[in-house]
Amino acid sequence: MRMVSTKYAARSVGRNFRRTILSIVGIAIGCVLALFMESLNKGRGELFARAGSASGMGHVRIVPADWRGRREPRLRLADWRADFAAAQALPGVASVTARVRAQVLLAVGTHVVPVELAGVQPDVEPRTFRYVRTLQRGRYLRAGETGTLVAGRAIADRLTADLDDEIVATTVGPGGEIQSALFRLVGIVSTGSDDTDLAVCQVVLEDLQRLSGFPGAGEVSIVLNDYREIDRARARLVQSVAHGDDVMTLSELAPEIEGHLEQDAAMTRFVSGIILLIVLLGVASAQLAAVLERRREFAVLAALGMSGPRMVWLIVQEALMLGGGGALLAVAAGLPLVWKLAHTGLDFSRYVGGTYAFQGVLFDPVIYGDFGWWIVPYISAVAMGATILASLYPAWYAARTDPAVALRVAQ
Amino acid sequence: MTQTSDPIVRARGVTKAFVTGRQEVWALRGVDLEVGAGEFLALVGPSGSGKTTLLNLIGALDVPTAGELLVLGRPIASLSKHERAHLRLQSLGFVFQAYNLVPVLTARENVEFVLELQGADIDRRARAQEVLAELGLADLADRRINELSGGQQQRVAVARAVAARPAIVLADEPTANLDGENAETLMHLMRDLRDRHGMTFIFSTHDPRVVAHAVRIVTLVDGRIARDDLTGGEPPHTILPAVAARTVGV
Ligand SMILES: Nc1ncnc2c1ncn2[C@@H]1O[C@H](COP(=O)(O)OP(=O)(O)OP(=O)(O)O)[C@@H](O)[C@H]1O
Ligand SMILES: [Mg+2]
Repeated sequence: MRMVSTKYAARSVGRNFRRTILSIVGIAIGCVLALFMESLNKGRGELFARAGSASGMGHVRIVPADWRGRREPRLRLADWRADFAAAQALPGVASVTARVRAQVLLAVGTHVVPVELAGVQPDVEPRTFRYVRTLQRGRYLRAGETGTLVAGRAIADRLTADLDDEIVATTVGPGGEIQSALFRLVGIVSTGSDDTDLAVCQVVLEDLQRLSGFPGAGEVSIVLNDYREIDRARARLVQSVAHGDDVMTLSELAPEIEGHLEQDAAMTRFVSGIILLIVLLGVASAQLAAVLERRREFAVLAALGMSGPRMVWLIVQEALMLGGGGALLAVAAGLPLVWKLAHTGLDFSRYVGGTYAFQGVLFDPVIYGDFGWWIVPYISAVAMGATILASLYPAWYAARTDPAVALRVAQ
Repeated sequence: MTQTSDPIVRARGVTKAFVTGRQEVWALRGVDLEVGAGEFLALVGPSGSGKTTLLNLIGALDVPTAGELLVLGRPIASLSKHERAHLRLQSLGFVFQAYNLVPVLTARENVEFVLELQGADIDRRARAQEVLAELGLADLADRRINELSGGQQQRVAVARAVAARPAIVLADEPTANLDGENAETLMHLMRDLRDRHGMTFIFSTHDPRVVAHAVRIVTLVDGRIARDDLTGGEPPHTILPAVAARTVGV
């Protein structure tokens, strides 16, 4: 049998139609904003992983023994070929590439630019480094071909170098001696951002081994099909890499970035919290107005002997109905919004100038929200939680109506 | 006095003071009163004489400042707020001057709601319908309150007050908003209920036509009982002591 008290709550909600609609819309807007932020927060993890897979950093990287602490480009892997094979044997691997790096001065005539020159495997490098997939001018490096170099457009501009110009690269060898080599500029990469361009400068692996005087490779970077498998992949690799070599995850490689993203997430949660607090106060004030209007009604109910807890429950039931309405509206409005956010993403290139480089890592200026079934429980919890909280004070206020006093007024 | 058994309301030197700002208003200045089960009692007196105040005390809506007040054997002054609410819910019925029904509920739902609050383990809907029928409202049970006339609303209010068969029904100027005919009808219905179920009715009024229905008239003046009269209004066939014997000790 349906309880009269439930009918009573439902009809009370319907009594002031306009206020009810406004409350429901307010709750829905608050929920949708919170949902939007939460979807982006979840998308940040994916953005980070995407940066790892496209910026050359990799989801997981095999590094030399002491590299974790010193981050010294001259360090070499104990056996990079063994490490490379171990990485390729990993299940769920999308691509594997080995590199060496060196601090180098590039010079054309009197123009000099210091860069971090990377020696790469031309056949696999573009799979892990998005910016050399398509070049603005010229072509990419070729396997087996030596003496060629591709550079970011900002580097070429500063050197006043054009395609096919010869560039002198100078570095310090293992014994402290100055070593130089001549490279021909075969391709120019344009990322749209000078900062990012300055981080792109590559030759083939063998050329840099020779120039630096250190054989071998300094890193093997691995991109996985699914970034959520990072920890598992790392655990497996630790077992199979050459003795002495170390395995690091994306978070370990770029802790500042992860911290930065976490800070962003905390900030957006804080903003969501403020928005919800404002909505909550709005709903509380509407509920309180409703309770005040019905002060006499509550006095009568109290006189008849309705207990405080029952009165609180009555108001909370009314709040739950508002919350339910708000949640339905929020789901109806939020699902398509978040779906769009997940599929077209939020492009902030206008604000960061093409690409976004942080700590040398290139980020896509498009962040995709996360879309999933978590949305429905999330909205329900937020809407119900906020309205229950909002109703507590009005409910408490109604419950302490003194029937003798309240019945006397406006008799 | 009229009652032959223990009174269900007993007041001894009951006073009530209200403090407003720095002023003290003595609404009751020492009321001694005993009401037996099954009485049909009118409280009369000039405006401000303390009728509402006394009804509120007997109805456990408020507590006396001093004196002893026992309602159904319970000392009102020493009950907690919660215990007073429980006493009201289980044993007292209220009829208000302004009807005070829940506007969003139908006539029957208003009655049923009180039974639901009580947790009455009966077919509440059937009981509500039955009580409404007793008050001549069978056909109006499904009407919303705002679709009823004042007289009909007050009858619903009486139905709500008596549905749970309380020991005492308290009514503060129940006919003040009704015309003569409706007032007359209401008084007849209340008398009927009292005769049939043995409930005690205590009501305040200014209306001489209503007073005419009372069996006992208690006159308050300045917070004191000035007169306490039995009227000839008691028809000879009314078997008050027998009714009292049935309900005392409930
Ligand atoms: N809550 C209160 N605060 C202050 N004074 C009060 C309060 N309740 C009643 N009084 C005062 O107590 C006195 C008795 O009031 P009460 O309402 O009991 O009179 P009444 O006999 O019911 O009058 P009426 O016939 O006009 O309804 C009045 O002087 C009134 O002003
Ligand atoms: Mg009064």
